[in-house]
Amino acid sequence: MTRRVHIPNLGGAQAAILHRPHVTVVALTRQLAAIGLEVTQHWPDLGSSALAADFVFFDADLGHDEQFPWKPGAAPMPMIALIGSEAPGRIEWALNHGADAQLLKPVGDSGVYSALLIAQQSFEARREQAAKIAGLRARLADRQTVVRAVVLLAARGRSEADAYDHLRQLAMTRRETIEQAAHRVVAQFSQDGGRNDRSEHS
Amino acid sequence: MRGFVFWGIPLRKRVEIGLLYSREGNYARISEACRLGALSAIEAINTTPDSGSELIAIERDPRGNIDLYQPLCTEILRETSARHVVGCVTSWSRKEVIPALEKAGGTLWYACPYEGFEASDSVVYTHACPNQHLLPLLQWAFPRYGRRGYLTGSNYIWGWEMNRVARDQIAAANGAVLGERYLPIGDVDVSRIIDEIRATRPDFILNSLIGPSSYRFLQAYAELGREDAHFTAATCPVLSCNLTECELGELGAAAEGLISVGPYFNDAQAQLPGAGPGFGSSLEAAAYSAVFMLAGLLAQPDTREAASLGELLAGSGAARSGIDPETHHVALPVLIAQVEGGRFRVRESWHKVAADPYLSHSDRIPAARRPRLSVVR
Repeated sequence: MTRRVHIPNLGGAQAAILHRPHVTVVALTRQLAAIGLEVTQHWPDLGSSALAADFVFFDADLGHDEQFPWKPGAAPMPMIALIGSEAPGRIEWALNHGADAQLLKPVGDSGVYSALLIAQQSFEARREQAAKIAGLRARLADRQTVVRAVVLLAARGRSEADAYDHLRQLAMTRRETIEQAAHRVVAQFSQDGGRNDRSEHS
Repeated sequence: MRGFVFWGIPLRKRVEIGLLYSREGNYARISEACRLGALSAIEAINTTPDSGSELIAIERDPRGNIDLYQPLCTEILRETSARHVVGCVTSWSRKEVIPALEKAGGTLWYACPYEGFEASDSVVYTHACPNQHLLPLLQWAFPRYGRRGYLTGSNYIWGWEMNRVARDQIAAANGAVLGERYLPIGDVDVSRIIDEIRATRPDFILNSLIGPSSYRFLQAYAELGREDAHFTAATCPVLSCNLTECELGELGAAAEGLISVGPYFNDAQAQLPGAGPGFGSSLEAAAYSAVFMLAGLLAQPDTREAASLGELLAGSGAARSGIDPETHHVALPVLIAQVEGGRFRVRESWHKVAADPYLSHSDRIPAARRPRLSVVR
């Protein structure tokens, strides 16, 4: 499957580099500035100001969890690991922090632009997937509500299939999910005790 | 006795600089134009008594063979004192030599238009990048001819990237790409491209073919124009970002009406840093400008002959040289010109546009000016 990758305009984007003062930081800063980003350097901690950054480059060699103002894997922006020693433990740690791309040290003038694009793409894909999964989880959790709504609607002499169709119609009319419609039906019934047969049509 | 003080007069530093241009092959005309510019700058500097240094050209000829660029560049850097190499025409060859330059602390002075998205620490780019060629060209062409384009190019990075940027620009302007076709470098079988153009009747063609492919295509398109008047400059012009005077001889009458963009045309008053008027093409002017800027940096007091680009640009000379220390690109004039009576006539110009190699600064796109008369459709 191929997809057209959107090439973002990186002009004015903020990059935070979490690395001790080093020639790597100089080379990386030069290249990021040439691409058009604004760069800040941080060490030993990222600090909460980094929450506003669009990209974070972090040292995978000397890094540890306490440097970040968020929990491992919960970074709100694309993360790029700066890897010197390719020790498996360090790579594992960088991955746990949600590295979306990596750059090998020493950083030269190639690789930075592709790391930005790849990190951005995988971060967005990851975020979209997470949102999708959260949505599916919520719908799964509402299975019981849907069953209750169908049972309540069927209790008025409809067949189970008709009751389900009816619920789907309600959802479509209000442009909401079946689960949301089910919640309303259940709430309505518990309010009026199900006495008014036409209540769900109002 | 060179390099010493003689009767109290400081003698000039002798500085070797490399020249890496192919003197044969598919893009020899472009190479020769650049080489001529570099050599005439060396001569001009050497005959100016107070220029501070005497430049000695160390030439190597890759003969149009991509695999010879990297070894010959390494040879210059290893066997001579040259740290600066003026050379390369294709982006492919430029990307080939960058690792050799990085390893030896050398610098390439690159004097051809290219597709952008690069800012190597080891390269100075003295010709135009897309915000100095393709973007102003398309913004100028859309209101005059329309936004339905046909894209063609040689099958390597220049063609691919030019057409990618063009696709984005056309999409952003609610236009349409009616076709996109590539030819291997040197291939002259253009019949399929011509057939597709005939069938789709675009408003313009963006031509990023190089060398013989481009010459053959432009001749075939001129023939098509004789069959059907839609395919002529008034209704469906061919636009390009790399056509200069140095290739007009090859094209003859087929060049009439072609539209090109560049920092210099020999009809114009515009000048590149350090380069006056009187050049045969923008390639010649950009190579001249490259050598001139390099000589200016080397002539700074207390500069070692073997100084790296970083050291040279760290001094006060960077600002005077016109080289952006951040991107190593140069602010250039942008001229749009059309071939008329065998010469380029400038149709639109902007005095000086800062380079934006990653297209990340929207304020560096020259503002489009509306045509005085719009085309009635």
